[in-house]
Amino acid sequence: MVSTDSAGAASVAVEERLFSLVLALLASEAGLTKNEILSTVQGYRQKYAFAGDNASLERQFERDKDDIRELGVPLETIEPLDEPGSNHNLRYRIPKGAYDLPADISFSSDEIALLNLAALAWREGSLSRESRHALLKLQSLGVESIEPVLGYAPRIRTREAAFDPLTDALARRVLVRFSYLKPGDLSPRERTVAPLSVVQHEGRWHVQGIDQNVNEPRTFLLSRIIGPVTRTRTPFESDDQHSAETALAQLDEIWQRNLAVVRVRENSDAETRLLKRRGSTRAADARLTLHFTDLHLLADELAGFGPEVFVVSPPELRQAVRKRLELTVATHQTLASSAETEQSPSAPMPSAPTSSAPTSSEPKGAPHAEKTV
Amino acid sequence: MQKRPSDSTSFVHAQDKLAFLLSLVPYLLDRDRVSVAEVAGHFQVSEEQVREAVRLIAVSGVPGETAQYQHGDLFDIAWDDFEESDEIQITHRVALDDSPRFSAREAAALIAGLQYLQALPETLDSAVLASLMAKLARGASDTPSQVAVAPSEASESLLTIRSAVAAGTQIEFDYVSSRGDREHRIVDPLRIDSNNEDWYLRGWCHTRQGIRTFRLDRMADLSRTDAPNTYAPGDLSLPDSLFDGSGETQGVVLEVLPAAVGLLGEYLAEGEPQLSRGALTQVTVRVAHIHGLKRLVASLPGVVRVISPADARLAVHDWAAAALEAYDAEPA
Repeated sequence: MVSTDSAGAASVAVEERLFSLVLALLASEAGLTKNEILSTVQGYRQKYAFAGDNASLERQFERDKDDIRELGVPLETIEPLDEPGSNHNLRYRIPKGAYDLPADISFSSDEIALLNLAALAWREGSLSRESRHALLKLQSLGVESIEPVLGYAPRIRTREAAFDPLTDALARRVLVRFSYLKPGDLSPRERTVAPLSVVQHEGRWHVQGIDQNVNEPRTFLLSRIIGPVTRTRTPFESDDQHSAETALAQLDEIWQRNLAVVRVRENSDAETRLLKRRGSTRAADARLTLHFTDLHLLADELAGFGPEVFVVSPPELRQAVRKRLELTVATHQTLASSAETEQSPSAPMPSAPTSSAPTSSEPKGAPHAEKTV
Repeated sequence: MQKRPSDSTSFVHAQDKLAFLLSLVPYLLDRDRVSVAEVAGHFQVSEEQVREAVRLIAVSGVPGETAQYQHGDLFDIAWDDFEESDEIQITHRVALDDSPRFSAREAAALIAGLQYLQALPETLDSAVLASLMAKLARGASDTPSQVAVAPSEASESLLTIRSAVAAGTQIEFDYVSSRGDREHRIVDPLRIDSNNEDWYLRGWCHTRQGIRTFRLDRMADLSRTDAPNTYAPGDLSLPDSLFDGSGETQGVVLEVLPAAVGLLGEYLAEGEPQLSRGALTQVTVRVAHIHGLKRLVASLPGVVRVISPADARLAVHDWAAAALEAYDAEPA
């Protein structure tokens, strides 16, 4: 039970090693050197070679530090005063004051209920795990939550593969690289960005950051990022605390400014739903006025309504919707009317992602949200 | 507090287990003595997960002066109570007593979640929300990452539904189906679901005598009635999926760009096989009728197309062709 014998070396579970490391570093005010940790802390000491090579154990320690820090535990490194710059005698510790939740922070039952719901909204992607960890910490305060009368099952979608690596880079404050297909371009272009915020506007995720090529702030739509996001090891500095606010304000400004006029069929699904959109107004003779942020995304949406919607203006939107409808017609020809014979059953979809993204065939560019049409 | 095994989560990663251990210790210290069942209910984990964690805590500690993990360097619990009556009491503690701070990402997730919830009638008091967000930021070990969700207006429909639930009455509204039919519905509201900016009502539909899902933006002329409801929230269990699998369905084969498979959302039932066909993925979705699906396909031109059956292909083709006719008749 008391694990003072080192016989069961392999049997120390990872969580026991991590827990023991946190306890050891919390308990030591002066901090421990790496050697002290590896030779004495439960889970390491069993594998420590006193006169040998501990390289793999050291790598394990590096990974464990990352895991612990990711949980928000302030694991500090201190250089010895008499040997500045020395790597060898670095000391590690977790200052109790920086570890403990400040004593004056408490949450009411109502607040816990709200926070439960906020955490529940993240049901996919890495933030769902983060939410779960945050809830455990809230639950440790022992406050019971009050369930709301009407149940809610909220869900924030993070379908874009770019979401997790971008929010991760945000927390680590490192540069990211990705290919970005701006509408109107035939192929995506590589961007290097210092990510400052990730924001959702009108249901779409955007990343705001400093584009390293032009050294200016830019907003990118996550759904236009092609392929993987590479998280570099290059750190960056920024004291911008308002990136999210600025990005959302800019997107909203664009949304305010952009107006489309459409005609809708009476009593149709399009009429009901488009009227319920934020900011929609009904004008004369079945015309609706809509606000939008991105012409290409609106065109996708309107094309889905088929004959229930007719775009009056602007002409670029009208053209964009037409092109989409034409593409749908072309890819859904029946066998009889199809001229092709070898490619059953009809005109194949363009298959390379760069040429087939719904936004790529458009002449009008919207490289960054602040410049969207 | 009752046990809720269906709600219990299992921890996949050692990091998740560590988060549980670091949260469990301060909770147990505050409680003095508490039953395993109560802890499991509170943390929404299984009783065995609690016992496992307690066993680990009881043998953990600090190396101490001897670097040998002597008895006084370890946590201790009242073993007899634990083994005989399933109760936990920590009798000796080391190093750890308070709840840990949030990480920057944890705080960011909760703050963005709260922003998202601003559309709910319960959370309308923005001062309460602002102070809650400030507390989360202050309780984090680093500045929360900037992840934000634009505030949306609380929908009037939500307020009406909310008041009907509070009064225990039915609601009525005209519902426009994806087919384009408009039908009057009388419903007992049970739960509000959402997917980003799309909001749904799950309820018992008196008109159809069954559980149905309604898009809030497809409801018109919504009002609260005076008729008492038959079912209140919690009376009926609701499936997690928004997709109504009730009634007859047909399989529709789609070809999708792999990166866009996620866009099929609720149409894509879990476990549906996905075949890779060159650069494209082939999936089969089950739908009651083509009317909803044809809208989705037409909104993703060049990204999704219907392969079979032929009448589904034709429906999509005709849908887009009918729309094009109007533009041909009225050129810009």
